[in-house]
Amino acid sequence: MMTRMVMQRIGIGFATLIVVSIIVFIATSILPGDVAQIVLGQSATPETLAALRAQLGLDQPGYVRYFLWLGNMMTGDLGISKAGGATISSLIGGRLGNTMMMAGFVALISIPISIALGLWAAMHPGTMLDRIVTFGTLSLISVPEFFIATVAVLILAVNLHWLPSTAYMTGEETFVELMKALAMPLITLVIVVSAQMIRMTRAGILNVMSSPYIEMAILKGVPRGRIILRHAFFNAIGPIINVIALNLAYLVSGVVIVETIFAYPGLAKLMIDGVQTRDLPLVQACAMIFCGTYVVLILIADVGSILSNPRLRNPK
Amino acid sequence: MKDDKSKSELNYQDLTQSDKDLVAKLVRGGFSRREVLKLSMVTGVSLVAAEHLLFDGKAAIAATPKKGGSVRMASNLHGPDDQLDPILFTSTIDYTRGRATYNSLVQHANDLTPQPELATSFEPNANATEWTFKLREGVTWHDGSKFSADDAVYSMNRHLGENTTSVINSVLKSIKEFKKTGPYEMKAIMNSPNSDLPTLMGLFQTKIVKEGSTGGGIGTGPYVLDSFQPGVKSVHSRNNNYWREGANLDAIEITAITDPVARVNALISGDMQMVTQIDPNAFRQVESADNVTLLSTPAALQLGICCLKNSEPGSNDDFVKGMQYIQDRKRIVKRVLKGKGSLGNDTPISFAHGPDFCKELPQREFDPDKAKFHFKKSGYSSAELFVAPVTSGVEDMCLTAQANCAKIGFDLKLKKVPTDGYWGAVWMKEPLNVVTWNMRPTANSQLAIQFGPGGNWNDTFWNNDRMGELLRLSLAETDPAKRHDMYCEMQTLVHNGSGMVIPAFSNINDGIANNIMGMPTVPLGQLGGNEWPEFIWLA
Repeated sequence: MMTRMVMQRIGIGFATLIVVSIIVFIATSILPGDVAQIVLGQSATPETLAALRAQLGLDQPGYVRYFLWLGNMMTGDLGISKAGGATISSLIGGRLGNTMMMAGFVALISIPISIALGLWAAMHPGTMLDRIVTFGTLSLISVPEFFIATVAVLILAVNLHWLPSTAYMTGEETFVELMKALAMPLITLVIVVSAQMIRMTRAGILNVMSSPYIEMAILKGVPRGRIILRHAFFNAIGPIINVIALNLAYLVSGVVIVETIFAYPGLAKLMIDGVQTRDLPLVQACAMIFCGTYVVLILIADVGSILSNPRLRNPK
Repeated sequence: MKDDKSKSELNYQDLTQSDKDLVAKLVRGGFSRREVLKLSMVTGVSLVAAEHLLFDGKAAIAATPKKGGSVRMASNLHGPDDQLDPILFTSTIDYTRGRATYNSLVQHANDLTPQPELATSFEPNANATEWTFKLREGVTWHDGSKFSADDAVYSMNRHLGENTTSVINSVLKSIKEFKKTGPYEMKAIMNSPNSDLPTLMGLFQTKIVKEGSTGGGIGTGPYVLDSFQPGVKSVHSRNNNYWREGANLDAIEITAITDPVARVNALISGDMQMVTQIDPNAFRQVESADNVTLLSTPAALQLGICCLKNSEPGSNDDFVKGMQYIQDRKRIVKRVLKGKGSLGNDTPISFAHGPDFCKELPQREFDPDKAKFHFKKSGYSSAELFVAPVTSGVEDMCLTAQANCAKIGFDLKLKKVPTDGYWGAVWMKEPLNVVTWNMRPTANSQLAIQFGPGGNWNDTFWNNDRMGELLRLSLAETDPAKRHDMYCEMQTLVHNGSGMVIPAFSNINDGIANNIMGMPTVPLGQLGGNEWPEFIWLA
């Protein structure tokens, strides 16, 4: 039963990837200008445009280019960047590592903090601490990340000189130096994603707390902490896992603003650059990676919520 | 006598480090009367003495270079299209990497005169149908092999011909081909005489690569390329076999920070030692920081509005006149460019072009009454201008024009569009659009590119036969007075007849750390025309 569901999900995910690739292909074709025009820019002439288009194979019709690309992709060949001439895998390689590293560190810090704070707030609803957490998270959700990032740079880098203002990596730093270089984007992203996860944890648990079986436990005289940890948490875990998965996917694909402000060479910025230069193979490759990440993480979240729920785990 | 007395009052050498930094800052900022006053107040010396300090400081800054240290430079743009192939260079980051890695035949000095680089001499024959370049012997590539005429001829011919993708192909149209005439000698065979040829041999894209290659980072230049990740960074270390003095730093790292605020923060917090393109809004922040200097180089970086002559409303001369008279030029320079710029006179030539600039041509002033008269005569009461932030200040310039138009009852609509795709979709297509051009090294190439009849980038579609004739004649003219007259006539033609509105020129504004010495001031691009890698050193 379980296996069948997982296979089904993988199938749907695969179809999603194909649809996304077609949409991305069409969308980049609609944009004004092609890669030859963007590369030559203001200094384009009809002759150099034609020469460069022929060199890049852009004189072939769109559907031919699409299927050529799809075929190569299936065999693991991501192709060559139309704009710079480097292989896409070399462009993506290092950046995928950077993105994963950043997402990993943020997850390691933010998930334990969020669940702990969310649980704490749920255990003591209406207290001062709960109000501080609620108010704080609400405010942070409402503030855009570029604002948090800019304020953090102003205070920690420009005024106090504690941390570097950009996440500039030399590639030879020790772990401590690496942490220092990454500190600013890490702080920004932890704040941004934690706020949402804390609220979801608190809300999920308080929701379960109002159900009859919890009332029964309270009437039996079970201590509140025990009720939450033993009875409520596992029933609330489904939505919590889902919000964590969505935030992780966001960390992989959606942090372009943070990457730009801190000049961090990650994947999201690469995709934007790809769009700006109309570098179709590059945009496609990034879109596939992002879409794949979403599919995998949501699959894991689904499986996780089924495992945590006996009614779904053992259907009649 | 007064001078002698005040000089003994205080010497540059006696200053504390922070005062020396202040002097260095003023020297680089191009000191004004007000700044001299400031120095006089800070150091507590008389005005005359303060002026002396500045001149002493200037000498100290030009002192003998020291070896060692490293520098990180952040440009404003980079991406997967970063190049190592010189013929496709289009951005500051490419030019800088090119300067660090390769050499050209000719190099531009601060005053734009052509200097020998890989070519030791360049001479035309009597009727200028051929130019002979003698090439430097004893130069080696980074891989150890020897540089010869084969490499130079191959590299230069890559710009010519039908199937080239070179971005400067049309600039070099006057050249038929390059020919090897000896192991260290080559000739340029011309289609038409061109007295500016040596200058063209120093363009960013004319870097010399190894025969048969597309660059690939193997050059003869001052720095060896250690690593290169497009859209991330490149690392360069000193070429210990460099064929001349220069290459003072142990290493340089070249990257970009696209966000303007983040770029300034990185400079001030010391993460970067050099950054390009300081936004006018950040001038004060950079100027008031202790450890960095705002480097403002006067240049002919035009903020332009193109009124296309082949479509309405630009085809109507009165409309263009109205657009020209409604520009509050002084206010644009003072408020929009925060003083780091100069007045434009609706021609692309500024004083930064040197003797070819026509200072006799009367400056067109802000005159709402004349503008109202011409707009009325043109019959138009509204128009739509396409605006993208192609260079800093352009949007604010158009907003200023819009406000002034409203006052005289003309409705100038601004259609804001992104820079992404602008050069393909808007520029030279929409009837009214904004434009900027990198400053070209000669007045002739600057005028030819935008106003040559039938040219690829004649961006107002203004075709004037006399203009074409003068562009040709001036290249062959050797008498300075006659040459100047021709350039004046051309600028007058553009000023009066074309569809171009150029209210102002921006300086090139970059930021550098105070301990960087020996900065060149070539006005052709960011950070001293991208020439800094060879020259700078750390104090």
